[in-house]
Amino acid sequence: MSYGVSDAWVRFGSQAALRGVSVDVPTGQVTAVVGGDGAGKTTLLRSLVGRVGLDQGSVAVPARERIGYLPATAGSWLDMSVQENIDFVGGAYGLAGQALAQRSDPLLERADLAGVRDRLSGQLSGGMRRKLGFCLAMLPDPELLVLDEPSTGVDPVSRVDLWRLISEAAANGSAVLMSTTYLDEAERCASLLVLHDGRTLLSGTPHEVVSSLPGTIVSTATLSRPDFGWRHGRELREWFPEGRQPTGGVAITPGLEDVVIASSLKLALDGEEQP
Amino acid sequence: MTRQSTASPTLLTQSRAVSKRFGHFDAVVDVSMNVAGGEVVGLLGANGAGKTTLIRILLGLIGASEGEALLMGAPPSREQRSSIGYVPQSLGLYDDLTVKENLDFTASAYSQARPSVPADLADHADTLVGDLALGTQRRLAFACALLHRPALLVLDEPTSGVDPLSRARLWDTIHQQADAGVGVLVTTHYMQEAQQCHRLLLMSGGRLVAQGSEHDVIGGTTAVEISTDDWAAAFSVLERAGEAVTLDGTDVRVADGDAHRLQLVLEAAGVPARIRSVPATIEERMTVLARAERVSSTPTRS
Amino acid sequence: MILKEFRELRRDRRTLAMLIAMPLLLLVVFGYAANFSVDTVRTAVVGPQAEQATTQLPAFFDVTTVEPDGTRSTAEDLLQRGEIDVAFVSSTGSAVALVDGSNLFAAQSIVSVLNRLSDQVTTEVLYNPELKTSWVMIPAIIGLILTFIGTIITSIGLVRERQTGTLEQLAVMPIKPSTVIFGKIAPYFLVASIDMALITVLGMWLFSVPFNGNPLVFALGGALFLFVVLGLGVFISTVSQNAGQAIQLAFFFLLPQILLSGMIFPLDAMAAGVRWIAYFLPLTYFTMISRGVMLRGAPLDSLWLPIGALTVMALLVFTGAVLRFRRDLAPTRRKRVSTTEEGTETDTQAGST
Repeated sequence: MSYGVSDAWVRFGSQAALRGVSVDVPTGQVTAVVGGDGAGKTTLLRSLVGRVGLDQGSVAVPARERIGYLPATAGSWLDMSVQENIDFVGGAYGLAGQALAQRSDPLLERADLAGVRDRLSGQLSGGMRRKLGFCLAMLPDPELLVLDEPSTGVDPVSRVDLWRLISEAAANGSAVLMSTTYLDEAERCASLLVLHDGRTLLSGTPHEVVSSLPGTIVSTATLSRPDFGWRHGRELREWFPEGRQPTGGVAITPGLEDVVIASSLKLALDGEEQP
Repeated sequence: MTRQSTASPTLLTQSRAVSKRFGHFDAVVDVSMNVAGGEVVGLLGANGAGKTTLIRILLGLIGASEGEALLMGAPPSREQRSSIGYVPQSLGLYDDLTVKENLDFTASAYSQARPSVPADLADHADTLVGDLALGTQRRLAFACALLHRPALLVLDEPTSGVDPLSRARLWDTIHQQADAGVGVLVTTHYMQEAQQCHRLLLMSGGRLVAQGSEHDVIGGTTAVEISTDDWAAAFSVLERAGEAVTLDGTDVRVADGDAHRLQLVLEAAGVPARIRSVPATIEERMTVLARAERVSSTPTRS
Repeated sequence: MILKEFRELRRDRRTLAMLIAMPLLLLVVFGYAANFSVDTVRTAVVGPQAEQATTQLPAFFDVTTVEPDGTRSTAEDLLQRGEIDVAFVSSTGSAVALVDGSNLFAAQSIVSVLNRLSDQVTTEVLYNPELKTSWVMIPAIIGLILTFIGTIITSIGLVRERQTGTLEQLAVMPIKPSTVIFGKIAPYFLVASIDMALITVLGMWLFSVPFNGNPLVFALGGALFLFVVLGLGVFISTVSQNAGQAIQLAFFFLLPQILLSGMIFPLDAMAAGVRWIAYFLPLTYFTMISRGVMLRGAPLDSLWLPIGALTVMALLVFTGAVLRFRRDLAPTRRKRVSTTEEGTETDTQAGST
């Protein structure tokens, strides 16, 4: 079974935030939406949870009680303790007492929050607060879990914890859609969607996306065309869309980040060439 | 990368056995480090490890409880502010002013001549900062920090939330500055950016636990890579066994894991898998440190 | 630095509005409204020889009611209902002027005029015999404090939720918008009600202000007034991005009420061109109710105007606020069919939000 949107258009005044984007979110998998600030990730996620209406296209989602949502900001009420947050959200979904504890206890344990139930959310570190937000989103045992940049700004250790929690949710049968700016996370997902300026830039499994780029990418010491190059770690990389063998420089197996950068470059250059 | 050699690499900022205590809380403990001109130094660590406090001590925004911090060889003072470019995580831009107006204000604050808008921001010269995308805002914050040609750049998570292409471009600028002799201290959560630094400083629990190259920072920590068809099962089994398990694509990895023991655990659970030891990543080293810290945590540290 | 501040200010419309509107408002108020001296007072003449007495009174006394068959209790009744400011009662032999002490400045003017006039008339000030300012101010201040709590604190509480982003989460959870709104208003209503009771009791105790009327009428007026100011608080929160803006807007609503509601400057003394503003301010009506009940013991039916006005205001403000708030919480209206085990829903959206 699959949730998602099909050919979605969203306009805010004269600006279009989404232009004909489609995404499938199957159960038991983690699907990633990648893109920089302003690409349309948040709008896409918000349209799935019903915060934004589509001007065109269709949405397939379960009932509101079976959706779990972690927004990009907050995620929990800062002036309440961990336990109070659980009680409040649990209550909203009709969970209380034994039933609530049965659901929340294992969640808090795995998120390493069981020892700080009485601490105010505002006093938790950024990573722990995100994990709390994740637990709150998971309380209703959702069929569809929507996470907006769950690990942005979170330290690497908590990021690993979060990724663990997210993959477990998928393994337990939820359909998970997660937006991220971290490409290494996207690479671990079953399928991904790369957005740019409201449009779909690339989509498919990580393998498909990487294979979709024409030409070759080489690692080199100097760039023959600066518009086609970028820095990666200690080296420089350049993309040759025509695929001809360059002199100097070593052809490499591109990673997801290389493909995304190259595609963004192509988009930027196409934009300039058109009158 | 070529580096223009400076006559003698001046230590732009340094700390000598610096500690900082807030009440009962030890934010920074006995940290000695430095940044010289022409190098990019990456400051890594979990939230709460003490990175921001250390930076504030180095910049002279707060004082150290013990030890000393030196900026250009002297204790931090207001006069030295003109040789530092600082971009905090919140950027420090005025949302109600345009790009040009922000540049004008910063320039006059540092007694510089009227600046011209950089080429890559020219399209947005008259746009209000509040209306710009995050990547563009960060580029502007950078440009403002560079206006007075500082000798030291301090950047706090300069690329958080920004798309890959813009990130690469920002780092181009960082490297250009370093090549011209500027010293750069940068904190980041992107490991790929950590790899671009000349040197790394890893903080955990207020202390400097490792410094040097990526290899030095990983410090011999290993990980175990588990290849299996049923990653979900392997994942659950190892998770319940209390291991620091993560996913990498469809491979399961365990930081600092005992290959033999893990093999037994998986076999007992009926999950066939191929196991091998591999070098750990920086993140895995940080995970191991964090877990150790949690186990031995005193009440004063969160 | 100066240039930067000017540029930022230019774009901060709310502060600009305040900088321009506030001086204008103050100018208008002090030009036309700030006036302590009353020109005419509503007068009743009661008892035999009423008509003759009418012709003898100076123009200051605007005779609105003549009751030749009336007695002292008729006069007291009219005063209690707030229909007149002074009543001349003549019976065999003596003539008494009964003055409404709850209308302080009018009463002061009347007393000084009467003192100059003649010794034939005995002056009696009812409801506030010593013409104490505190007795007249406290009932109004109760309303002022409620306005403060209701508008500012309510709006900040709601804006904070929007600012931290937790409103997003609330909106997605299966809670009805009406539940959210009720849950957000109820605590403030409760706190404000307790505050109202506390301040009233404290005012009475510290300043010996009497409470001559029916507490239930007072409570009714208070409750209606609270609805208006709380609704205003909700409304302000829906048009403010942060607490600072909310406070600015709340202050914008608060200041005119202090100056123009009859709390400080009597309504009667305001130039007609400005007085009409007072009739759009909720505090004006609450002050009528609180002064009437506490000082005069006014009956419910005599307060039909302020109570009616507050009811209308409460309905308008609250409805408007709730509609706006609902829009924040539920931007898409989707027809939902509950999911079966296998099925999912597919909504086709044609038409924008």
